[in-house]
Amino acid sequence: MSGVQVSIEALNECQIQEVTLDGQEIYVQPLSMSDSLSKLAHKIDFHRDECETKGKPTSEGDKEEEEEPPAKNAVFQPSLWPWDNMRTKLKMALTETSVLLDVLKIVKEKHYMVLDSVSIDQPEAKPGFFAVAKKRALNSAVSILSNGAERLRKSQEQAAKRTTPNFHYELLKLRSKWRLKKVGTTILGDLSFKSAGSRFWQSGTFEVTKNDLMPSDFKEGAPAHTVRSPLQVHIPSELESVAYIQVSIRHTQEGCEDLASADLQLPNSLPGSIPSDTPWQRRLETAQNVIFCKEVFVQLAREAVQVKSPLPHLVIGNQVFSHLFPGMQLCIALCHSIDKSRQSSIRPGPKPDHNQVLEHSLHQLVRELHFKNSYHPMPHPVSALLGVSKKRRNAGPQAFSRTELLDMTHSESMLEQIIRQARHFVVRTRTLDILDKLSEEITDLQIASHWCNLSSALESMVKVNITFNGYETFKALFALHICVDKIRVVMKDGRVINLSYEPQELNDFILTQVAHHHICIVQALAKLMGWQLLTSNSHIGVGEMEPVGNVQSIMLASPLGNRVIAVRSGPFSGVHVHVQKTPDVDTIRELHESKHVSLAEKWEMLGGPFHKVHLDKLEGRNFVNKMELLMACLSSERTDTF
Amino acid sequence: MPQSCGGRSLNTFNILLTLLLLIRVLSYPVPEGKSGQQTVEALQKQIEVLGATVSSNFTVDCETYGTYQQTSQPQHINILHNSEQPATCFAVLDSGNCLVADLQFDALMNKIKMFYIQKKNARVEAKGLRYEYGDFIIKVGSVVLGQSTSFKGVIVEVEYMPAVVVSECFGLMREFMFSFMPTSVIDATTNHWKTKNDAIYAPQDTVLQYLEHFNNFRKSAVSMMPPMQ
Amino acid sequence: MRSNPVPLQEYLLQGSILEEHGDVLLNRLNGLCDPVETGPEKFYDHELVYTLRDPVPPPVVFRVRQAVEHPEAPWHLRFLGQPDVADKSRHTLVRSCIDVGCSSNVADFLFEMGFRLDHEYTVKGYLFRKGRMKVTVSKIFRVVQSGNPEHAEPLTKSYLVELSVVAPQGQDQIQDDMKGFAEHLKPLVMLEKIDHRRLQQM
Repeated sequence: MSGVQVSIEALNECQIQEVTLDGQEIYVQPLSMSDSLSKLAHKIDFHRDECETKGKPTSEGDKEEEEEPPAKNAVFQPSLWPWDNMRTKLKMALTETSVLLDVLKIVKEKHYMVLDSVSIDQPEAKPGFFAVAKKRALNSAVSILSNGAERLRKSQEQAAKRTTPNFHYELLKLRSKWRLKKVGTTILGDLSFKSAGSRFWQSGTFEVTKNDLMPSDFKEGAPAHTVRSPLQVHIPSELESVAYIQVSIRHTQEGCEDLASADLQLPNSLPGSIPSDTPWQRRLETAQNVIFCKEVFVQLAREAVQVKSPLPHLVIGNQVFSHLFPGMQLCIALCHSIDKSRQSSIRPGPKPDHNQVLEHSLHQLVRELHFKNSYHPMPHPVSALLGVSKKRRNAGPQAFSRTELLDMTHSESMLEQIIRQARHFVVRTRTLDILDKLSEEITDLQIASHWCNLSSALESMVKVNITFNGYETFKALFALHICVDKIRVVMKDGRVINLSYEPQELNDFILTQVAHHHICIVQALAKLMGWQLLTSNSHIGVGEMEPVGNVQSIMLASPLGNRVIAVRSGPFSGVHVHVQKTPDVDTIRELHESKHVSLAEKWEMLGGPFHKVHLDKLEGRNFVNKMELLMACLSSERTDTF
Repeated sequence: MPQSCGGRSLNTFNILLTLLLLIRVLSYPVPEGKSGQQTVEALQKQIEVLGATVSSNFTVDCETYGTYQQTSQPQHINILHNSEQPATCFAVLDSGNCLVADLQFDALMNKIKMFYIQKKNARVEAKGLRYEYGDFIIKVGSVVLGQSTSFKGVIVEVEYMPAVVVSECFGLMREFMFSFMPTSVIDATTNHWKTKNDAIYAPQDTVLQYLEHFNNFRKSAVSMMPPMQ
Repeated sequence: MRSNPVPLQEYLLQGSILEEHGDVLLNRLNGLCDPVETGPEKFYDHELVYTLRDPVPPPVVFRVRQAVEHPEAPWHLRFLGQPDVADKSRHTLVRSCIDVGCSSNVADFLFEMGFRLDHEYTVKGYLFRKGRMKVTVSKIFRVVQSGNPEHAEPLTKSYLVELSVVAPQGQDQIQDDMKGFAEHLKPLVMLEKIDHRRLQQM
């Protein structure tokens, strides 16, 4: 029989949360293990358990509870003992902590329980509310940022289209370069070198003010590069000019009237004064230069008066004259123009050449003075005396002798130093001129001068080579050490000769060396050619006397012995070559023909007279070449060559 | 003329001799009646005849401080000054240890005056002329002891400037000294001199030699007269 | 006879500053004091203090100082007298001082004279000067191994600041200058007159 269909459906384990309109059931998800555990754990009321199980199991306690409350009511006290409350609380705390400890221990093992983040149900999103809040916050942030950007943009625009620079901006630039300080309401600056160690009396204070002229005051046609700056510097009137120190070395043959015409013509390129609309930097620099030049000149003038020297220095007006050598004078002048209008009154005299190197040296010397004033070596160890030089500190313990102590105290004044430098300059230029002149004049041989690259303001060196073209293996070599007022010559063989500053001495010396070289090279040539050296004399006493130096000579005999060459070389008389022929055929012939004289054989071998050789007519590019050819000719066996 | 070199090592080199000439004892045949002063003058004349030139005066003086402690032996400090090194003060102990210091060292001695007492009448001074002769410097000085200005002896110092090592120029100096001094005197050199053969010479050595001679003078002075301390 | 050198006096003010603020002080001193091109001058000294204790107290103290990094510089021997504490009107500590430069055998020399080494220490720091005034900012190190200044451990972490002037007797106005200078350093470091005897009694 077909029965009723019975469908068995298991009980729904899961609860139905919702049934949708199309009949779908949405189940409540069953609780996971951790969820169910937490749910159950929440149900446990630890407090209640604690209160009940006071040493008695709950099941048994039910009966006794009924008995107890009456008993308790009878002897009810607010508290059994004063600490009871605390005790219970502590016990509760203990229970809780022990439970927590147990949980943690279990969780640590990760077998039964694992800590998992609790996913809190998201609260219902209220988008509208949040949107409005965010918008408000963003708005405020935007307003702050845009304010800042606006300000920056404005300042940048200002800076970009700044035609008239701001006073404060200019002041900032000024302050980065010069020392400024505010005194009351005025801003003063310092031009002087006092902070660098100078002790000059000139104060060099300048004032900085605001330039209130508006741009509309521009004159028409004003050159485009003059910019009116809002900053004006007021320089003391005595510094408002251009100055420089003119150092020149001149000959004193012009006579005394040159000293009186002490006004110098300034080069045309130098303006009388700086126009007031040039930028302040240039004006300040020029003014500072004026102070510097003034200090240099004042120092020199003071030393010129105080320092004792064999020939006194002259100070006339703005010039200091010092004697360098007889006929040479060093003139140091402070050229300082006040304004253009005065220039016309200056007599245009010959413009002396300005030695810039010496001017620079002067600047350096003054700076050295500043440095010495400001720098003092620190004591090591620290407890030693301050302000004493290192050498002086060493003087006692190192047992310096008297001479050493005196040397320490001796110091040279600036004027003396510059005079020495000028002297060296003069001697060096003279040497240079002489070497050049002689190199040009003497064409027969080469005088090559090699100047040493390392030189100081007081000493230089030059090595001079004298050679013949084509025969460079033989050279005369000497070194000239140019000192302050003398020249020291060191020869190849080690001899040292001291020459004075007179140019003529060097001239004579070089000519002597040239003459000597002629003889030396002939001697060397003889060895090569096989000619025998008969005599060689460095100072012969026959023949014409040289105005300066000695005449050298050499006599050579040909390999065959029938020719003798005699060379005589003097610095001023030049080179002369004579040749002798043996035997003297002509004389012997004459004697034979005279029939009055009978000659023994031996007399026929006597040498004949010496005949001069015209070197200029001889072929050959220089003296040595000619000598070589001559020797070659005379060495041959042909007796008719002469 | 001797050039002064940059380094200080190339400097003095001394040999010190004494001419012990008391008024009564004459060490070399000189007629009776010649005093120390005359001896000095005679020496000076001889040196000048050689060709030396007088450059200046010189002084070397010595003061002694002594300490007398019960436990240890008396320790002496001698403070010497040499006019050749005017910025220096030399302090020498009995052992020969020499300290080279600034002039303020004298003031320091003052501070320890409780321990180191200055000996009275123990100041010895040698004063005289300084001659220069080429590379040599010769000093002839008369020695004065204590407060008395009486003459005690003559000290001659010869210095050869270019050399620094003793052994190298000992012979040269000896020969030079023959020209104005008798041999007997030259050979009697100080102990200090003998020890210095190859070491580089220093100003301390000069001072030590002076000290030795001064001590000899003191001893002879003490032996001559009854002890005053 | 030889004239005695002029007796000198040392005027001294001392203070200290913690290590972390040392740089600020150095900067300030750099600005206040005389300019030096290569930056603040460093120094490293080794000081040995010798005393002569003998029947009569107080013992005489000599200080021997050597610049470790400059062996060619002479050794320095210093004697400092007792300061005049009673005078309250003086702003600085005033004591007589004798400074002597000497050769390097001074330590042995003093030993032979009877002095004994009391203690030694090294000092490392910076040195400034302003006119006559000398300012040192330094750390003191205790020497662990006698005679070997390399092995030294610092005593404290702070810097000792000293302002001193050595001048002939009688120039008391220098004290006002020193006080004025000390004012400039005021909030950073307090330089004052310190009574050493009270420190020793502690």
